[in-house]
Amino acid sequence: MTAEFEYTPLELMAAAGARELRDGEIVAVGLGLPVVVSFLAKRTHAPNITLLFELGVVDPEPVDTAVGLADPRIWYRAKILSSFVDMLGTVLHKGLVDVGFLGGLEIDAYGNLNTTLLGDPKGKYRHFTGSGGANDIASYARRTITIIRHEARKLNEAVAFVTSPGYLRGGEEREAAGLAGGPSRVITDKAIFDFDPESRRMRLVSIHPGITQEEVLANMNFQPIVPDAVPTTEPPTSEQVRLIREEIDPDGMYAG
Amino acid sequence: MTKVATLTDAVASIPDGSHVSLSGFAISRCAMAFAHEVIRQGIKGLTVSQCVTAMEADILVGGGGVERIISGGGSRGRFGQHHCINRGIEQGTLIAEEYSSLSMAFRFLAGALGLPFIPIRSLRGSDILKRLQEVAPSEVAMVDDPFTGDDWLVLKPVVPDVAVIQVQVADEEGNAWILGPRWTNEEQLKASKRGIIITERLVSTDMIRSEPERTVIPGFRVSHVVHLPYAAHPTAVYHAYDFDADHIKHYAQASRTPEGTREYLDRYVYGTRDHEEYLELIGGASHLDGLAADPALGY
Repeated sequence: MTAEFEYTPLELMAAAGARELRDGEIVAVGLGLPVVVSFLAKRTHAPNITLLFELGVVDPEPVDTAVGLADPRIWYRAKILSSFVDMLGTVLHKGLVDVGFLGGLEIDAYGNLNTTLLGDPKGKYRHFTGSGGANDIASYARRTITIIRHEARKLNEAVAFVTSPGYLRGGEEREAAGLAGGPSRVITDKAIFDFDPESRRMRLVSIHPGITQEEVLANMNFQPIVPDAVPTTEPPTSEQVRLIREEIDPDGMYAG
Repeated sequence: MTKVATLTDAVASIPDGSHVSLSGFAISRCAMAFAHEVIRQGIKGLTVSQCVTAMEADILVGGGGVERIISGGGSRGRFGQHHCINRGIEQGTLIAEEYSSLSMAFRFLAGALGLPFIPIRSLRGSDILKRLQEVAPSEVAMVDDPFTGDDWLVLKPVVPDVAVIQVQVADEEGNAWILGPRWTNEEQLKASKRGIIITERLVSTDMIRSEPERTVIPGFRVSHVVHLPYAAHPTAVYHAYDFDADHIKHYAQASRTPEGTREYLDRYVYGTRDHEEYLELIGGASHLDGLAADPALGY
């Protein structure tokens, strides 16, 4: 690594996510790192993206870190404060959301996400958050980006419960279920993945600086498609790191 | 006509086994004082519906009065999971009809519009749908679009017996303003057979008439108006007061176990006669003043 400045894995993930957003797009955001990703894109190459939060918040300019979407800190200086029907209905359901951000307890080889339970769905399990807007966003945003920690228990061949559908079991299954769009990128703290256009299986796109391919694969419970040559993920620029630390997330609550 | 009532009387109007739709979202505008009074009065067998699960639903489940919860899921964000709801689902003591945010919003919208069903693109291909087909087979179906022949998932409307909506401003008829995002509160209220409004401020109908475009809750759908400042404590009410982080953490810790939940309820719910006593117990006016919203920020 030749960069003359330091950055954290989360800052690298934020920069990688921001590069996925194009100017003028409508982006459905949840709390956490996607907030940093979106504001980073908006303050650099994509000033005209529209950020929407499922409960009815458009383009806020928060000055304090929020604990969740229900925290008025994330509503500050919004252009619109409305409702679920207005956001997820008249924008997302109508097919106008370009990119949705997702996260979860685990993701599988075909991009299906679980935020509902861990254990045996028919037997003993621990119940968690469930969907919220995640299933809606996964069902019909034009593309989705998942940000998830790179740990074997979170990267499985199949998830215990499909809360938010990816490509189901691959091939044409997603389309057959009546769903458009689908997962486009998975960003972890070790690598970036996309999905093979035919099998729809997760495929390694790039590996973060300082990480080996062995480390990437050893911390997954399934074998992704690995092309012959896998490039290194572009690191964040010093300006991106400065924006995150000084302006977007000064408390380090999202990307710290 | 005035519908101003005490919280005790408003809650007493709810029979056992009712379907109650609640206004909270995670840690905002939760009908906490209402939930406490339901627990004090020992109302049982409730169905609770909510777009995103919130603290008043969790404590109601912890109080043992809820049989079924219909929601799009949810948590308290950085304040963690809803332990009472999750424990009830895991142990099978709480029947959970779990949807997504938009499927709940559409079900309330269909209820508000008096539609027989509503088509939606969500849930298809998911295990949420498979599970609903097991726990609530009468609420979901597939139909053909009569115009294109495409197949569509349709959901039944939700028609609660009563919506309980925590607002910032209302008059004595129940015409009310919700400041900030309304999530699905307007659709919930309009889907329900009647509404109970719990308001931070009680204003004159002249004031409502002065800015009627802000009225999202129609008074003619409301049966009771309860004027009760800080009724959402420890959750936030935009432009009134911030959430009480320390108290939420205290509840979050206590509710991790049935014993802790019981101790919390004994102290803060059964141990107080009414909302005034509760507010005194959590620190009274001096504590609440510290939570007052900055008018420029709204929190």
